[in-house]
This record gives sequence, structure tokens and C-alpha cells, in this order.
Amino acid sequence: MSPTRTSPPAVALDHVSVWYGTEPALADVTLTVAGGQVLAVIGPSGCGKSTLLRAINRLVERTPGVRVSGRLTVGSEDVLAGGVSLEALRRRVGMVFQQPNPFPFSIYDNVAYGLKIHGERDPARLRARVQAALREAGLWDEVRGKLARPARALSGGQQQRLCIARALAVEPEVLLMDEPTAALDPLSTARIEELVDRLRGRYTVVLVTHNLQQAARVSDHTALLYRGQLVEAGPTPELFTAPREARTEQYLTGRLEG
Amino acid sequence: MAREQFHTELLRLQQEILRMGALVEEQMARAIQSLTDQNLELADQVVADDDRVDDLEINIERRCLTLLALQQPLAGDLRTVSTALKIITDLERMADHAVDIAKVTRRIASEPLVKPLVDIPRMATLAAHMVRSALNAYVARDIDMALSMIRMDDEVDQLYRVIFDDLIEIMRRDAQSSFQSTHLLFVANYLERIADHATNLGEWVVYMVTGERRGLE
Repeated sequence: MSPTRTSPPAVALDHVSVWYGTEPALADVTLTVAGGQVLAVIGPSGCGKSTLLRAINRLVERTPGVRVSGRLTVGSEDVLAGGVSLEALRRRVGMVFQQPNPFPFSIYDNVAYGLKIHGERDPARLRARVQAALREAGLWDEVRGKLARPARALSGGQQQRLCIARALAVEPEVLLMDEPTAALDPLSTARIEELVDRLRGRYTVVLVTHNLQQAARVSDHTALLYRGQLVEAGPTPELFTAPREARTEQYLTGRLEG
Repeated sequence: MAREQFHTELLRLQQEILRMGALVEEQMARAIQSLTDQNLELADQVVADDDRVDDLEINIERRCLTLLALQQPLAGDLRTVSTALKIITDLERMADHAVDIAKVTRRIASEPLVKPLVDIPRMATLAAHMVRSALNAYVARDIDMALSMIRMDDEVDQLYRVIFDDLIEIMRRDAQSSFQSTHLLFVANYLERIADHATNLGEWVVYMVTGERRGLE
């Protein structure tokens, strides 16, 4: 966001596996998202999409008994290495969830929240950052002059953009989006998709979606997961018109059983 | 629409394309017959029946657009629908050339033929065979069939050169024949174009099956 910002980092999974019990939820996945690109992750329910996303910011570790193996890097940082600060990692890697989840605060405080947690106290700087984040999330014009109103009074689509603004406020480099439009109407969905398009280049985005058309519309690359395994990853235009793998073909044409 | 119904709809689309293909073959055969038999009535029928081809094209095109809009097919399904759209354009052009040939019949039917037509019907038979093979390859999704059918275009081109030289020779010897000979040359050229459109069909079949758009020479 600031003019001196360096280009966003690549996210690379190198033989990453995640076990919740004896069965791997993610099995030996090797995949790279180039810096500033949008990767869509698709696949049937339970295929490991959300697990992949939550491995990147290590949110999977909240599940008791989980085991993660392999190497996962954001830029040059080995995310899974001992001694990595989760707080610092999650500042670099923001996340947006399926259900818009604004805090029961004002619009302003929702966006300022992360900044305050990270120690920003200067009121002028806070205001500037909040405004910049709201602008970047495409919400500013709708909420200016109403920043003291409760966030939960906003529409679902606005709430989701507020959550994106909240994620962007702390200046992350990577944005993880877990079915961010699943709960939204078509118009709000279109606005989020336009937003993702604008974020391209400035952030590395990993987007989990069940909506194949959405993946086709917004992503540079697409990865298909099936039963925890990476079936195919490639440039989106090619994957959706002429996939290499038979299982991708079956999935895209509605012939693959979950 | 359920996915299963969508796939039934794709089969129906395929049947409609076969219907259109059969009609185009028929138009080509009747156009050539009108020429060799100097049958004006048959030529008129070919011209009139072009509307049937156009109607089929519009109908299939509408089916394709509906499927694209409502089903948003991907991967192989997307290629199947887009191939259908391309195939009907080529078929429609072939039918136009059949009409062009029927119109030549109308123009040259008043005087006897300068020579019995042998190579032109042969060329027409070859072109028709190419169309038939391309449509069979389409239905069977058979790349080998498509590729061998594409190679037949060389034979058509060869025949075209023979016919060309023949007619030029006839014109050189008998300037009076040049009106008719020139029209027969047009016919050979229309047939050559038809074979090229048939070649396109074959290439679309290869694309539909493999996803690869090859530069086939």
C-alpha cells in the first residue's frame, strides 16, 4: 500500500502434508503461487482446500492432534520452522472467511482493530490507515461519514468488504480467502471479484472457491485438489478449457464423485 | 438442468449436427448432379433448400448459446459446444458453395457440355467423403479418423490442378468454350473450398478431443 512496498512474495508448498488423525487431509502437496498472482483452489467438499489455506497461516494448528510436514515458504521465510512468530506470520498473511465476521464494534474500530493490536497508537496515522484500507477494499465511498456506526448494520456484501479492509489494514503481503462470496448475492459477489482483480499484483492471493466460474473469472492459476491430493495446477485459461488430467476433466464436467 | 440432462442435451446437439451434415452432403450431391445432367429443376431445388440448411444452423447455434449461458460448460464439455458452433459455420459455407454450383448449372445449361464431366464429379465424391468422414470422426471422437480424413485434402488439391490444366487447355484450343470452361473452373474451385471446410471440421474434431489446436498443414 505504501509506495515503498516491495513486490509481494511467492507462496510455495513443498511436499506439504497435514494429518488430523491417521488419514492425511492434505497429502504431499507441492505447489507454488507466484508473487502477486491469484491462485484459485477448487475441488469437492472435504478435498483439503481449506486445510491448504489454513496451513499457509498455520491456522490448522488450532485443531488438536494435527500434524503438518513438508516445507512451506512465504517469500524466503520458512513458515513451518520453529521459532516463527504466529503473530508476525498472520500480519504478513491476512485471511477472509466465508461468513463475513465483523466484530461487534463500529466500522472504524473493526478496521483499526488489527492496527491497534500491532501497537499503532497514533490517532492521525490510525485514521489514515483505516481510510486507506477502506478505499482499497472499495468500501470508502459507502461508509464515509458513517464510520461510528455499528459494522453489523452493513449489508452482507459490505460486511465482507469491511472484513477485507480489516485484513488489508495491517498491510499483509498475502491474502487467503476462504469462499469469500459463498454467503453473498450475485451483485455483492461481483464487487468482491472486482476487488480481487484490483488486489492482483499488490498481494499474493489464494482463493478457495466452490464456484468454478468464479475461479475461472478471477484467478491466474487454478489448483484442483481431490481427496487431499493435488490433481492438477496450471494457468486458469488452460485448465478450464483443456485440462491435462482425466480427473480434472471429470470434475469440471460434473462427472467426479466427491 | 441436471448434469445428466446436460449430457443428454449434448447428444441431441450432436444429432442435429449430423442432420445438418447429411443435408449439406445431399445439397452437394444434387448440385453436382444438376451440373452433369444439366438439370435446371434440380439446380432450383438446391437453391431453394439452402433455407433449410440456414434454419438448421440457426437452430443449432441457439441450442449452443443456450447451453453456454445456462450450463456454463467447462473443459471437454466446453470444447464440445464450441466445436459444434465452429462446425455448423463450416457446414453452412459448404452448403453455400453447393448453391454456387447449382447457379453455375443455371448459367451453362443452355448449351451442351464441352466435354463429359469426369474429374469434377470425382472431386465432388472425394469432398463429400471428407465431410462424411469428418462427421463420423466427430461422433466417434476419433482423432485417427479425423487425421486421415484431413490428409484426403491433398488428393482433392491434386485433382483441382488436373482439372485446372484441362480446362485451360480446352480454352486454349477453343476460345468459344471459355464461358463454360471458366464456370467449370469456378465449380472446381468451389469443390476445393468445400474440401478445405471439411478439413476444418477434422481439425475441430482434433481440438474437441485433445484440447490442442494444431496447425495442420
